[in-house]
Amino acid sequence: MKKEDTVKLISAEGFEFVVDENAAMVSQTIRNMLTSPGSFAETQHREVTFPEISTTILEKICQYFYWSLQFASGKETEFHIEPELTLELMMAANYLHT
Amino acid sequence: TMNDRKTIDLEQGWEFMQKGITKLKNILEGLPETQFSSEDYMMLYTTIYNMCTQKPPHDYSQQLYDKYRESFEDYITTTVLPSLREKHDEFMLRELVKRWANHKVMVRWLSRFFHYLDRYFIARRSLPALHEVGLTCFRDLVYQELNAKVRDAVISLIDQEREGEQIDRALLKNVLDIFVEIGMGQMDHYENDFEASMLKDTAAYYSRKASNWILEDSCPDYMQKAEDCLKREKERVSHYLHSTSEPKLLEKVQNELLSVYANQLLEKEHSGCHALLRDDKVEDLSRMYRLFSKIPKGLDPVAHIFKQHVTSEGTALVKQAEDAASNKKAEKKDVVGMQEQVFVRKVIELHDKYLAYVNDCFMNHTLFHKALKEAFEVFCNKGVAGSSSAELLATFCDNILKKGGSEKLSDEAIEETLEKVVKLLAYISDKDLFAEFYRKKLARRLLFDKSANDDHERSILTKLKQQCGGQFTSKMEGMVTDLTLARENQTNFEEYLSNNPNANPGIDLTVTVLTTGFWPSYKSFDLNLPAEMVRCVEVFREFYQSKTKHRKLTWIYSLGTCNINGKFEPKTMELIVTTYQASTLLLFNASDRLSYQEIVSQLNLSDDDVVRLLHSLSCAKYKILNKEPNTKTISPTDHFSFNEKFTDKMRRIKIPLPPVDEKKKVIEDVDKDRRYAIDASIVRIMKSRKVLGHQQLVMECVEQLGRMFKPDFKAIKKRIEDLITRDYLERDKDNPNLFRYLA
Repeated sequence: MKKEDTVKLISAEGFEFVVDENAAMVSQTIRNMLTSPGSFAETQHREVTFPEISTTILEKICQYFYWSLQFASGKETEFHIEPELTLELMMAANYLHT
Repeated sequence: TMNDRKTIDLEQGWEFMQKGITKLKNILEGLPETQFSSEDYMMLYTTIYNMCTQKPPHDYSQQLYDKYRESFEDYITTTVLPSLREKHDEFMLRELVKRWANHKVMVRWLSRFFHYLDRYFIARRSLPALHEVGLTCFRDLVYQELNAKVRDAVISLIDQEREGEQIDRALLKNVLDIFVEIGMGQMDHYENDFEASMLKDTAAYYSRKASNWILEDSCPDYMQKAEDCLKREKERVSHYLHSTSEPKLLEKVQNELLSVYANQLLEKEHSGCHALLRDDKVEDLSRMYRLFSKIPKGLDPVAHIFKQHVTSEGTALVKQAEDAASNKKAEKKDVVGMQEQVFVRKVIELHDKYLAYVNDCFMNHTLFHKALKEAFEVFCNKGVAGSSSAELLATFCDNILKKGGSEKLSDEAIEETLEKVVKLLAYISDKDLFAEFYRKKLARRLLFDKSANDDHERSILTKLKQQCGGQFTSKMEGMVTDLTLARENQTNFEEYLSNNPNANPGIDLTVTVLTTGFWPSYKSFDLNLPAEMVRCVEVFREFYQSKTKHRKLTWIYSLGTCNINGKFEPKTMELIVTTYQASTLLLFNASDRLSYQEIVSQLNLSDDDVVRLLHSLSCAKYKILNKEPNTKTISPTDHFSFNEKFTDKMRRIKIPLPPVDEKKKVIEDVDKDRRYAIDASIVRIMKSRKVLGHQQLVMECVEQLGRMFKPDFKAIKKRIEDLITRDYLERDKDNPNLFRYLA
């Protein structure tokens, strides 16, 4: 994967998830940030830290991103959420506008 | 984790946000600042997010919403407005454009930081979205205060450009974009705060210009200027005005330059519409059409002047022909001569010329077709030197179609000319009169073998049929067919003679049998035929009876020709003469000398005919008979004798008998037919309407008959009276102007 097409998402514990730009932009919040006028040199940072999102949740969210893209292109499967993650996941989703 | 995050206090949180906002402002002001990193962004976003999702009383959505707006208001009032207020004109415009661009950037950034408010808060409270709030601030503070000044500055630049100066078009475009964008989807700011004044100013500008130009410039020069102005204004729209301004702007310019001064322009003494037409200035006339077609009812006066011009040109031709005709010799008065030929040619040329104008300069517009038609209808119905236009046209055709006619043209040219003649026929109201004259001359061509080309004869009949309908040409077509049949018949007759040698009259006889209904009516006189010819007639009659039992033959000797041998002393010569002339000459086989009266009684013809006959044989080119006294005219006291001494270098000569002028008879016949046509029309109308007023009846009658002729009101009235006496109609007892159909 080319560096330009990817974004690095970092959890509260410091775990780094490198995902496709398209996947990351499923989150409106991330999308807004990446498409803001001028100030971001595309090749520069492209990494976002989420001090308030745990690794487990962030991982699930990344999975969600990919599932969402697949769902949109026709593969209508189910996205399974472990019950104990539900609340935190919803709050993170709200935050990320996903 | 998110659950146990620390509550952010409003003041604290806002202090953090304020840092970010200040950084943004610095970037916009061009002060040295680092760019926002993704971390910066997320921190600002997260701060807002948290402050909005905290539990009450710490959910600060409302306060943040207000502070968001206040951020703009502060910045505008402290920095933006002052910088704009101190500048003027073009500088002010530039500053405004810059500030607007900055503002949009600021709105975009801030609305993203504060984005969480857009998600639920604004909908819940039915408040305007962040983006709208941002723009509204600019509108209410900056735009509100400055739009008038901006507008004036823009208009001033526009006027400068109109005067020929170079201006910054991109700047104007950017400024006007603000008027559009500030409307946030509506055009009302652009229209009310800018466009209205711009249009007013434009109108005033062109009003001033026009008032000068109209005095100084000729019509073509003025029009050129007007066209250029319109072109430039159109370009102006594409350069920086909003596209919706185009029609309104052009309308104003057209109004001030053209509508206001339309009449003065068209009627300019030496360069107005009349003059342009007179001098064939097609370029200028085309421009005139282009310009005047854009203003309401603009073309009406132009078409009117065109019509006047064509009418006067045509009327001049009529006068020219009249004058030439009045200089003719007295005896040639009634005959359609060269001048009339020339007249028809010139009318055709006039039509060609102005039809081209209608097609080219006036882009085929119906107004001008109508004007041309009405103009031609005016003068095409004026006769020349006692001959109606119907007759002139028929004679013109005759000259083209007959052998040895005055027009010597190629086949193509003939076709073209015939086409044009038929077109002219459309303008003549007495079409039935034309038909009758044409028919008479066609008969002459066919019977005396004077038709030059069969294809042309058929071709013009086709054209006439197309233009006037089948009824118009059915008789004429019948005539042409008759000739073909007659030839067949003659062949049969010759066969009959060879089979029955006893029946042979001893003279070569050719008979042309005509169907009465198709041919013009000819008076048949009881000419005393010479004995030899009587036998011929009998023989043919027998033959014809053997073929068809139920038909009656009426002999028209006035149309016959005869080849006879004249045994003159110097040499025998063959004379080609008419049957009447032959009958006259044969009288001298029995008598050496005859008086006028004797000839009249022996021939049993009218005085008019006898005078013509004797003149052709004794006072014209070939003197077959001697006349005592030897004067130039025939008188009832003259005596005639055979001129033995007559000779000519040819062996065979044709002695022409000038035809009687058909004019009077044709007019009589047509009048008679018209009476029948009017009768039929009145009855037809009354039968379907049952009851009708006088006015209405006359109107419908005129309309019905219009295709063939224009009925006279008096004539119609007379026919109505006649039909009443014949019990077709009755007058209403109470209303003398109301008629009732009697079944």
